[in-house]
This record gives sequence, structure tokens and C-alpha cells, in this order.
Amino acid sequence: MKKSLYETDEAILEGIRRDDERALAYLYKLYFPMISHFILSNSGTDDEAKDIYQEGVIVFYEKIKGNTLELSCQIKTYLYSVCRRLWLKRLAEKGRYAVKMEDSESFLPVEEDTQHHEEQERQFGIMGESLEQLGEPCRSLLEDYYIRMQNMQVITEKFGYTNSDTAKNQKYKCLQRLKKLFFATYKPEV
Amino acid sequence: MLEYRAYEQIESYLNNEMAADERAAFEVLLRTDPRLAEQVREHRKLLHTMRSFGQRQSLKQQLNLIHSEMEDETAVATPAPWKVFWNRHVQTVAVAASVSLLSVFGTLWSVQQLKAPVRQQTAHYVELRREVELLKKTQTAIINGINDATKPAPRPAAFSGTGFAINADGYLVTSSHVVEGADSVLIENEAGQKYKVVEVYRDQIHDLSILKVSDPAFTTFGKLPYTFKTAESDLGEKVYTLGYPREDIVFGEGSLSSASGFEGDTTAYQISIPLNPGNSGGPLLDDKGNLIGVISGKQAGQEGAAFAIKSAYLLQMINELPQTDTSAAIALTLPQKNALSGQNRPQQLKKLKDYVFVVKVYN
Repeated sequence: MKKSLYETDEAILEGIRRDDERALAYLYKLYFPMISHFILSNSGTDDEAKDIYQEGVIVFYEKIKGNTLELSCQIKTYLYSVCRRLWLKRLAEKGRYAVKMEDSESFLPVEEDTQHHEEQERQFGIMGESLEQLGEPCRSLLEDYYIRMQNMQVITEKFGYTNSDTAKNQKYKCLQRLKKLFFATYKPEV
Repeated sequence: MLEYRAYEQIESYLNNEMAADERAAFEVLLRTDPRLAEQVREHRKLLHTMRSFGQRQSLKQQLNLIHSEMEDETAVATPAPWKVFWNRHVQTVAVAASVSLLSVFGTLWSVQQLKAPVRQQTAHYVELRREVELLKKTQTAIINGINDATKPAPRPAAFSGTGFAINADGYLVTSSHVVEGADSVLIENEAGQKYKVVEVYRDQIHDLSILKVSDPAFTTFGKLPYTFKTAESDLGEKVYTLGYPREDIVFGEGSLSSASGFEGDTTAYQISIPLNPGNSGGPLLDDKGNLIGVISGKQAGQEGAAFAIKSAYLLQMINELPQTDTSAAIALTLPQKNALSGQNRPQQLKKLKDYVFVVKVYN
């Protein structure tokens, strides 16, 4: 991987928009030490640092992908702000609200971005649980069809259904169950 | 089965797979049937969440991959526990270190400040003591003890000093202490001329002795190039000497640093020529080649403080010689013409060195 390829923030953004995995990897490796240092110096552990940093990168990544990012500062500052916000939240959840953060960087208010992210996280948590409860082969069936976008024909063969109609019927039943499980716990934010 | 059909419809609607007219019909149905609309909304939400969920999962996987890849890269340089500790506490440590350094050096400095007047007092003490010691100090006679030198000789000389001619007829001057208790005395110059001499007069007070060549083979030294100065020389005048602190003749140069000698002795000069045992009895000359004194000694433990008897006292001694034929002869033949003035130093020395002798004393 040539580093010089992503020397500027613009190059990194461009790389991520192009779905260049190397751009993401480069970005990830570039700022991990900074966040890790921040988390560690604010009573966090290595695992928590990794967790928070990944969430931060996801927020950033999805904003780029969704074209909703209005970057008025450096990527570094943005990532730091997001991770800082997430970590504050995490600390509050743990009941250990740090009175004073040891900041090594300047930061911006990014409440909106993180709130959206948290909402998503909640949904995904429920979705994950629902899929878990769904059990096999329903789960794989749905994942193959809706997430991995596999052809109904392939699925039919894979799961050993006699024809695609049976598969479709099976899929419908699974979806029905998932829907029930999901909406049983999921209440849209009011 | 109806529900199933409805699902198919909803999905194809959401995926934009419906034909235009079918789509229009469905949208009309949506507007009129709130239950269907709710179902479509829910379905869309579900599918959307599921899809994003999938994407998120794969993104997380990718990040985890990157992370482990990064950890592999840095595995070699994985921070040791002490490093983590250090990173966490580096600021505290730095502050503590600077505070302690500051207090240590501050204390040292202030103690130093407090001690300054005290030290001045001790300096007084030292000076006072040195003055007391000064009284006890004796002028160290410069006699070069030769024990092992001149092996081939049947009996090596016990002491040696320097002497110089005062007239052409074989009269020389040296320091009394050089020839003290001598059985026999020999002189030798750079040219290798070697004569046996006897002491003919001694002035204990001024530490001067007059020697005379007693060798029957001796005829004359030749015409002396220097004259004797009767007046006192001035402070700061450039002076030099030749002597035998070792086997070879040695030139030493300095200036006249005081008009009085050891402990205010007015019969001597203080000169700043580095001298060594063996220099005693050597001639002290000024820039113009006038003989202004005879080297006698130096102060022990004091650098650059040597002494020379003033030439006036040498002349006085010559005049006071017992009125015999010898003294008259000396007085008469004292050199009157200076052949050194106006010449540069090496030229002066070349002429001078034949009249400066090493005085070897046997006893």
C-alpha cells in the first residue's frame, strides 16, 4: 500500500467514495493511535478503545457513503469529536461520568451524528436479536436473499427445496416471523 | 395465501419491479387502505433495517480485519506495560521531575548565595595564614644535586651552579652557596673549555664569590662583550639570563618585576624568569647587554618569583676587595665597552655564551 496515495483528507474521502478498501484501511490505521491514547488516558481499556474507534469510523464511513457529510474540519478532528462523544456516552452508561476529559485535540459538537448512530445501533441490536431468535434455516434463508442478494434459484438448491415456489413460501413464512419478532421490541422513536 | 400474495406485491412494489399501470393501481390501493399502507411501511422498514444491518455487519468485519492486520503490523512494537504506564503518567512524572530539579538547584543556589560572605571570610583567613607562613619561608638556594651524572669521571661533582667571567684575566663571579664547602672547583663552558679555579674572595652577606682560574695553561678569556651597570634598572625592563640547570646551557627570559628581593631585600631584584636549581650564579642582563645582576635564588612554592643580586653590590664587593695586586688587576681590567647593545637576542647570546660557565663543585 502506497501511503502517498492518501496523503490528504480529500484523497481519503475520494478513496472511500470509490469503495477503495485500502483508503479505509489507511484511514483506520492512521488515527487509531490518537483515539486509543484518548480512551486509555480517560480510564478506558484497549478493547473499549477498539470498540469506540470502530463505531467512530462507522459513523464517518456511513456519512460519506450517504453523502451527508459536511466536513468543515479535518477528518482527524471529526473522528476525535465523534469518538469523544461516544466515549462520554459510554462512560455515562457505566455510571462513571468523567467530570473532566483529558483532551489532546480540539473537537466539535457532533451530537446529531452520534444520535443518529445510536438510534441505528439500537435498531441493529434488535434486528440481530430477532434474527438470532428466528433460528436456522430461516435466518440463513433471509440473510441470503435480502442481505447477500442471492438468486432464488441458488437458494432453492442450497436449502434443498423441491422448487422455488416452496422456497418462496418458506421465505415468506420466515419473514412473517421476523417481522413479528422485530416489531415486538422495536418502537420507532417518537 | 392471500397474505403471501400481498407480500409478493409489496416486495415488488418496494423493489420498483411493478409495471407502470400495476404500480398506479397499487398506489391507489395504498391511499385507500390504511392497513395495507401500514403493512408496506413496516415491510420497508424491516427490509431496510435488515439490509443496513447486513452492510453494517460486513463493515464491522472489514474493520476488524483491518484492526487485526494493524495489530500484526505493530505486534513487534507492541507497547510494553511500562510503556502504557509511562504514556499515562508522563505528564505527572514530568511535572514532578521538574519540581524536584527546581527545588534541588534552587536550594543549592540559595545555599551558595548564603555562603558567599562566609567564603570571603575564609579567604581572609587563608591570606592571613599565608602571611604568617611567608615569615617562615626561607629562600631556597638553587643547588643542583648531581648524584649519578658524569659517570666516567673518577668522582662526579657534588653540586653545580653557573658562573660568568668578570674580566679577561680569569676572574669569575658565582653565588657563594654554590661553592660552599668545596674541595675543588672546576668550570666549563659551552665550547668545552675546562679550567680549575680557586675561590679568592667571598661576600657571605650578598651571597657572592669571586673565583680565579688557577690552571697554568690558562691565558685569557678574551675581550668581554658586556659591561656592568652601576645604576638601578627600571621596573618592567626586559631581562634575560644564561645558566646551567642541566648539562646544556639554557636561556631564560622575563622582566624585572620588583626593585626589591625576598622580604624586601633592597640588594636584590625580583625577576620573572622561570629558574631551576643550577641557575644560581648566572648573569642577569638587560636588553642592551648590560649586566645588571647575579641570579641567587627563588621563593619556595611561588611561581615566577626569582631573585638576583644587583650589579651595584657586585661592583661594591670588587672595590672592597682586600687591597692586593689581584684586586687592582680586576678593577683595572673590568670591561668598559659593550659589544652587545643594538644586536638582536640570538646574536647577543652567541657572543655571551663563551663567558658563562658551569661551576662544578667537588668535596
